[in-house]
Amino acid sequence: MKRTLYLSFFFIGVMFVHTASAQSLLKKLKNKVSDAVNNNVDKKTDNSSTTSSSGKPVNKGGGGLSNTPPPDVKAQMADAESAHAAKKYSDSRYALQQALMGVEIQLGNQILKSLPTTSDGLDADLTKDVVMSTQWGWSNLNIQRVWKNKGDKQLTMTVGNAGLYAGLAAMYFTNATMVETNNNKQNFKQIKVKGNKAIIQYEDSTGYTLIVSLGQSSMIVWECINFANEQEVMNTANSFDIDGIKKMLGEK
Amino acid sequence: MKAFIFLIVTVAAANVCLAQDFNKAMATAKTAYSAGKLEDTHFALQQAMQEVDLTIGKEVLKLLPPKLGAMQSTAKDDNVSSNVGFIGATIHRSYTQAQQSADISIIDNSPLIAMTNALLNTPMLGMMSHGKDKVVKVQGYKARLEKEVGSTGDKNNYELQIPLGSALFTFKVTDCTDSQILELADAIPLQQIAKLIE
Repeated sequence: MKRTLYLSFFFIGVMFVHTASAQSLLKKLKNKVSDAVNNNVDKKTDNSSTTSSSGKPVNKGGGGLSNTPPPDVKAQMADAESAHAAKKYSDSRYALQQALMGVEIQLGNQILKSLPTTSDGLDADLTKDVVMSTQWGWSNLNIQRVWKNKGDKQLTMTVGNAGLYAGLAAMYFTNATMVETNNNKQNFKQIKVKGNKAIIQYEDSTGYTLIVSLGQSSMIVWECINFANEQEVMNTANSFDIDGIKKMLGEK
Repeated sequence: MKAFIFLIVTVAAANVCLAQDFNKAMATAKTAYSAGKLEDTHFALQQAMQEVDLTIGKEVLKLLPPKLGAMQSTAKDDNVSSNVGFIGATIHRSYTQAQQSADISIIDNSPLIAMTNALLNTPMLGMMSHGKDKVVKVQGYKARLEKEVGSTGDKNNYELQIPLGSALFTFKVTDCTDSQILELADAIPLQQIAKLIE
């Protein structure tokens, strides 16, 4: 009996040693492989190389694209009319699209001009001003301005039909119960900003996001990074001329 | 003969009305733009574009044959509608003869266009349809031919989807075979339609 017990202990001991050595061997192997891979990756991302791993040359810079002026609305309207008269309807439609784009860009610039250059002690970074219109019909019109300080506080304001948020906003504007169900820690709620329906959201990683619905299809989105609290966000939003923007966009 | 003359007069009158609406919208746009009213200009230009879409739709209807095989077009079902926003004009015509019917719809800027193109260019996706659809060519255009689920016998209902630029051309025929629907589709001037709606 004792002999059997000794034998069993011996085998178990051998197995432990074997497993332990196998594990250490595996660990060593893993380290070797990861070292080799890391070295390779480092070599590949080295900027001094002139070709990628596939032999394709790496672009080291270029002049970029020239800044094209927005479409001339008057000329496009004239083109649309003459094409229509000549029964070239496809050309007429294209000219109308261009005219609409031109109007949208002008409108975007007008709205940008109306925005303050400082807000809540933050200075506007005019190099980041954006007016974007890729198609007609508001749906692709986006106007953006960024304010920031020398630290890490930043405010980004987007006006237009912000497609990214539109679905999300519509869902919460029309369904109040969705907000109420989150009782533990409320990080999403419906509010009003200067009489306009709005939602405010807080995420540790992104900060505060305030979305104000403007009439039928437009909205303003404020993304506030490193703002102290909800009140500070609200004070900032209230300092903007929301009615003026609404009027310019033709929203009621 | 009287009916034919009446039809021509009606179509001509409709065209004159459309042209007038276009000119009116353009005049409003120009006045609003000169006055610096950008939002009003935008709205008037959208109106003008709707008129152009409607005109294009009417022109496409003129290109469609009055007869497809033995089927006659149903004039009262002819329809052109213009949508403000992402989707452009929607053009519709139907044909009937006894139990058989056919239906043409052209949707400009159709949201389904990307999916149809993906299906046409990814053979693996077609394999998942259990043999109910296949890729065919009609007048040089790649198209997706689908047999209607649940139909039985020699004659089935078929649907042909052809992407024409950003528009989706859909042709449905009941009680036919796959070769019959392709024959009927050959009678439709696809290239001319594509040129008009591009």
